[in-house]
Amino acid sequence: MASIYNFKKIAPVPDAGDFLDIVLSKTQRKTPTVIHPGYKITRIRQFYMRKVKFTQDTFDEKLRQILEEFPMLDNVHPFYADLMNVLYDKDHYKLALGQVNTARHLIDAVAKDYVRLLKFGDSLYRCKQLKRAALGRMATIMKRQKDSLSYLEQVRQHLARLPSIDPNTRTLIVCGFPNVGKSSFMNKVTRADVDVQPYAFTTKSLFVGHMDYKYLRWQVIDTPGILDHPLEERNTIEMQSITALAHLRAAVLFFADLSEQCGYSVREQMSLFESIRPLFANKPTMLVISKTDVCKLEDVGPEERQLVDAVVKDGVEISHMSTYMDTGVIETRNLACEKLLQQRVEMKLKGQQVISVLNKLNVAQPARRDTVDRPVHIPEAVVKRRKYDSQDPGRMVLERDLEADGGGAGVYNVDLKKQYMLASDEWRHDVIPEIMDGKNVADFIDADIEERLAELEREEEKLAAEGLYDSPEESEDEEDRRIRSLASRIRERKQIIAQESRINNIGRSTLTHQQKATAGISAPEDFADHLRQLGLDGDAAQATAERITRKRQRSESRNPAVVLAKRSASLAARAISVQRDRSTMGLRDAHQQAESERIKTRALRNMGSMGRAGEADRRIGTKMPKHLFSGKRGIGTNNRR
Amino acid sequence: MPQNEYIEESIRRNGRRFDHAERMRKKEARKAHKDADFAQKVHGLRAKLYNKKRHAEKIQMKKTIKMHDEKNAKQKADDAVPEGAVPAYLLDREGQQRAKILSNMLKQKRKEKAGKWNVPLPKVRGIAEDEMFKVIRTGKSKTKAWKRMVTKPTFVGDGFTRKPPKYERFIRPMALRYKKANVTHPELKATFQLPIIGVKKNPQSPMYTQLGVLTKGTVIEVNVAELGLVTTGGKVLWGKYAQITNNPENDGCINALLLV
Repeated sequence: MASIYNFKKIAPVPDAGDFLDIVLSKTQRKTPTVIHPGYKITRIRQFYMRKVKFTQDTFDEKLRQILEEFPMLDNVHPFYADLMNVLYDKDHYKLALGQVNTARHLIDAVAKDYVRLLKFGDSLYRCKQLKRAALGRMATIMKRQKDSLSYLEQVRQHLARLPSIDPNTRTLIVCGFPNVGKSSFMNKVTRADVDVQPYAFTTKSLFVGHMDYKYLRWQVIDTPGILDHPLEERNTIEMQSITALAHLRAAVLFFADLSEQCGYSVREQMSLFESIRPLFANKPTMLVISKTDVCKLEDVGPEERQLVDAVVKDGVEISHMSTYMDTGVIETRNLACEKLLQQRVEMKLKGQQVISVLNKLNVAQPARRDTVDRPVHIPEAVVKRRKYDSQDPGRMVLERDLEADGGGAGVYNVDLKKQYMLASDEWRHDVIPEIMDGKNVADFIDADIEERLAELEREEEKLAAEGLYDSPEESEDEEDRRIRSLASRIRERKQIIAQESRINNIGRSTLTHQQKATAGISAPEDFADHLRQLGLDGDAAQATAERITRKRQRSESRNPAVVLAKRSASLAARAISVQRDRSTMGLRDAHQQAESERIKTRALRNMGSMGRAGEADRRIGTKMPKHLFSGKRGIGTNNRR
Repeated sequence: MPQNEYIEESIRRNGRRFDHAERMRKKEARKAHKDADFAQKVHGLRAKLYNKKRHAEKIQMKKTIKMHDEKNAKQKADDAVPEGAVPAYLLDREGQQRAKILSNMLKQKRKEKAGKWNVPLPKVRGIAEDEMFKVIRTGKSKTKAWKRMVTKPTFVGDGFTRKPPKYERFIRPMALRYKKANVTHPELKATFQLPIIGVKKNPQSPMYTQLGVLTKGTVIEVNVAELGLVTTGGKVLWGKYAQITNNPENDGCINALLLV
């Protein structure tokens, strides 16, 4: 079915009161409900703002859903648009949807206003009152939509029950005066089961049924009867038929009852045909004479006959049928279907779509090379061969015939062996034993199997003799042995080094305090020797060292005056501070000093050429880093840092 | 495929199930009990809604019953004159009722005269300054506190020009400014949304009048041009006073009564 025109999925539209209950109770359920006056005012405001906004959201969502689900008359097929116009009044429908849309906007505006007011609410009571006013105003707006909503609900219920007619598929439309046998025909050709009664306007709306013809799916539309009067005077029931006739590209079957059992004269029926003829333009049309069991075309008077003949012209075909006698029904249907099918194919060939397909097709016709005639060659045997005819007694016997003779399917056993091609035809049905002379027959399917096995064995022996399967010998020459021993020595040595370093490491890390204390101390003699080794005079240094490190004996007493004098002298000497150049302090001699100077200038060269601040430059960082002195706190405790 | 009125069609063709009438009757009979069960069990918001609905239904029911009763019952005429002669001491019984009304009217008039304001809301609740204003702290470290924000709805005229915002003492937030009021005409019993022209008097304080604060009891001037009122002389009225009757800060709108 045409899924685009499925109006069954529209959600029910609640009436205004229910709508309010749904929305407000949703607000109550889905937003927090506990608030105390002691809470911070921002929290209270936020609590109520949330309620207002949530209610607005819910209203918005529900109303938007209505607006989206109901079909837009401008977007649906003109048949449905017109049918809806006939049934529900287009203006009313648009007005209702428009009002719902306006209500949605109004509710949004109210929510916006009250959220703004809530920002200035300074107590729980005030916030609550504002919330109450906001929800109240939304409710009032919604209550005013009572009529629109109930109208839309009715439209929805009716829409859902409309027959799902696909406007683009192959369709037969049955039309005519009331009570001429339209629905009876419908019931004959489809399974729709439309109600048939012996009074006018039994069918009050369009009915659709489906049938198969030529393996295609067809829909048959049964329309309510139409009377012969101007379009303005037609009522809703008739207008549905007119809509279907006007908008569906289908085959039209105009039913006429010549027996006048329906209560309308032949003249009236034919004048109706003439008056709605414009609707049949470009549609295969048929005049169906129904109820032929009561009155045939031949039986009517000459006047009526003339009227009927006047109608049957330019493409209108006549057909006779009787649903009571079951005559002509299928013929009528087939004729209509054929005409429609033909017309649809023609339309397709005229259309743009077919061109794109035709462009791809190319029927190549080779040009004539010469005048020689080259007819098709059919072997004589083929020409002579008799055409198979199941009625011919001398026909070829088929397996199927044999089956029929042999008792039919399930009983007849097919002889699969009769077509075997063997040296002698007599062998065909011989039984093949499984074991023969104590040997498995299957093993001897290959006649020269023994020979081939012997050949394989011979080849193996030959390969073995050549030594293909021998493992290579274990041979080690002098060079290999040397390398091997060297490698093992290297490995050993590596292990030893590793162990030594491990031991040394332990020693270093566990030096005792005593060891540490004495490690740096050396005797004055050692110091002098060291100086001498360097080529300097070590005597003076030794003398000084000895003097300093010599321990005073107990027997030696010291003259306090001398001591004091000495101290004061040393103090005086200390008073003049010694200016030492730190840059040369760690350097041994002039040579080393020059070297360090050279390294320094080289290091600084790059820095200087680029005018950059070096690491030695005096640097004052940002005194007031921006991030520490400006900005509000995220949590809102301060608006400064 | 069901189409059109298929349910009715099916009922028409096949009829209802054989015990349909009985089921309906039982269902109807059970309904009172089911409703009672539900009413006892329901709680919360649904209970509130249900009870309200039920209440309205009951009132309607009682009214209907009463109406039916009245149809049958005989009514006593209130002003039926007792038949026959009436003794002299009973003659003035009727007049007393009227006398009482007169005295009441006199009292009312005196009371009205005594009131300074002859308006629907002669008295208003006092509003403290700290309810009216919110202190706005200014300065780099928010130490200064001379700025005030009005937390009530205000009316700001079209011609209002702001002082430089830095020196503005009173802030009237845009969100709380109103231009229109719902004004009820007491005699016409109709309400119109009319533009406000100005604040005539805020009974709380002259300062509030100056600021255009709209609180309950404030007298405002509204544009009544669209009402088409005329003076006795035949001039068209366009400005009239009205008194605010609700708390605009609680309701988010201004309702006023036209002073005629």
